[in-house]
Amino acid sequence: MPGTVLELREVWKIYDMGEVKVEALKGVTFNIEEGEFIIIIGPSGSGKSTLLQILGCLDLPTKGEVIIEGIEVSKMKGPQLAKIRNQKIGFVFQGFNLLPKYTALENVELPMLYAGVPAKKRRERAKELLEMVGLGDRLNHKPTQLSGGQQQRVAIARALANDPAIILADEPTGNLDTKSGEEIFRIFEELNENGVTLGVVTHDLRWLEKGSKIIKLLDGRIEDIEVVRHVGNT
Amino acid sequence: MEILRETFRSLFDNKLRTFLSMLGIIIGVAAVMTIIAIGDGAREEINRTVSSLGSNIIMVTSSIFSRFASDPLEFKDAINITTMVPGVANATGLLASSYVVEIHGKNTTATVLGVLPGFFEIMNLDVVYGRPINEEDSEELRSSAVIGYNIADKLFGRQEVIGERFNIIQTGSSGSRKITFEVVGVLKKTGSRLLFNIDDLVILPHTVADHRLFHASGRTGQILVSAIDEKSADLARMGIDFYLYRKFEDSKKYTILSQDAILDAVNQITGIFNVILVGIASISLVVGGIGIMNIMLVTVKERTREIGIKMAIGASRRRILLEFLLESVVLTVIAGIIGMILGVFLSGIIVHFGKAFGLSAVFTVKSILLSFGVSAAIGLFFGIYPANQASKLSPVEALRYE
Repeated sequence: MPGTVLELREVWKIYDMGEVKVEALKGVTFNIEEGEFIIIIGPSGSGKSTLLQILGCLDLPTKGEVIIEGIEVSKMKGPQLAKIRNQKIGFVFQGFNLLPKYTALENVELPMLYAGVPAKKRRERAKELLEMVGLGDRLNHKPTQLSGGQQQRVAIARALANDPAIILADEPTGNLDTKSGEEIFRIFEELNENGVTLGVVTHDLRWLEKGSKIIKLLDGRIEDIEVVRHVGNT
Repeated sequence: MEILRETFRSLFDNKLRTFLSMLGIIIGVAAVMTIIAIGDGAREEINRTVSSLGSNIIMVTSSIFSRFASDPLEFKDAINITTMVPGVANATGLLASSYVVEIHGKNTTATVLGVLPGFFEIMNLDVVYGRPINEEDSEELRSSAVIGYNIADKLFGRQEVIGERFNIIQTGSSGSRKITFEVVGVLKKTGSRLLFNIDDLVILPHTVADHRLFHASGRTGQILVSAIDEKSADLARMGIDFYLYRKFEDSKKYTILSQDAILDAVNQITGIFNVILVGIASISLVVGGIGIMNIMLVTVKERTREIGIKMAIGASRRRILLEFLLESVVLTVIAGIIGMILGVFLSGIIVHFGKAFGLSAVFTVKSILLSFGVSAAIGLFFGIYPANQASKLSPVEALRYE
């Protein structure tokens, strides 16, 4: 029986903009189980990005609890949060967010460097991961020497580096042409088939048919949760 | 180690900027290095000069020397000290002033001294031609003079000048007049010893000097004493003190300086000079440090997105802080090393052109460690604020930064 990877309980996020208070999330509650492929959709301003930041421990909720693999993170301090981001979360961004001065290999190694993995092991694992996303022949290329699709694949390899509990992606195909996008879909599906838990925030409707569960956000609230297929225990 | 590699990578990525921001520190460290080296060199030179006299020299000065003083030091006292005080080998009073000397249209400036014959032994002077001043010169008021190497060279162009005559020009309110002297001895080329450049001396019998130039009526500002040997120096000093106290009945009216006391005084003065000069040079270090802080703040701003990415994939604030701090420290330490090398080079040049003034440079482990430590400290001090700014960025906002 697979466990719960991520739990959100009554999560509120209120931005204090001086005179105005913006309520980005208004009591969001849901679970992500191991092996699930969650798609979070909603119009802009619905709180998608905020939700992703909270799921990824980049930001803390104003109210409510965030529990990752049984660990309550919503009251954690900086160094612990950094460790959670490093060990439990893998990020894939719309704009790739690779370090421009580092080679593909070095970019993938970086999370392992922060985790204290020895140099030799780091290098081996980074190579493996890049080969897995089909970039075995681009190890020493810098991001500027790679196409958008290739850059996003490096980012996916980097997200996988420390074998995280969940990969969170923010519009991963948003900056890509259709063909490169397809490539990313395929990699995500493959990962999910191998048991990797995924959470994708998007408004690209092509993702809907890939996910196992669709969460629709509207005005900071969950409008609907649609289970496409049951994972694991069905 | 890994973190250092990243530091060097980002410094190398921006070679020109890195170099320019180092420049302030490089100049500052080079300046401090040079000043310390030259200062230490000067101090060593002075110490060597003072020590070359031997540790048996004692100097007595009167703080109230003037023509009208009621009870000044006198040449008589020097004679009395020589004969009465145990442990004393020789003593002389010292009349000293600068005069122009000339002959046949050639002239130069000389330090003219009026002394007792014992002066030659006290200063350990070598007379290469002729003889030193003797008792008869003093008693019979002979116009005899012993001259230094440079004086002989400039007036006559040679050293064997016994029997030659020259004039000392005295300028007063009633115009200038020439006083003629005869060379009875020429000194070996010696250089500086204690307070004088021996090579520029014209040495006269004290009676003649007093009578014709100084008009001091037997008074003197200072008495130079040599003890028989190092061991008797203390005994001699006490004896002189006893003699002078009996004369003045006030220990404030005279000062007895031994070599140690002179060295202390000299070191104190050169020490103060050094501190002042290093202080001035340090201003450029501070300015350089501010430059580093400025450039680091710009770097933090430029790399905001990079910081955001690093934080998102698990870099802690401490790690970010360390990365930036290390960058500024490595920057200043490298600048410090370059500055040190430049300082060595610079003091070499200064010494090369300043040899005539007796300049020399001395590099000590202390000054090298100091430069190293100071530049690292500047990196830390001026780097901590920008590094802290970097580490305090919120990952969400840093990622959004374009």
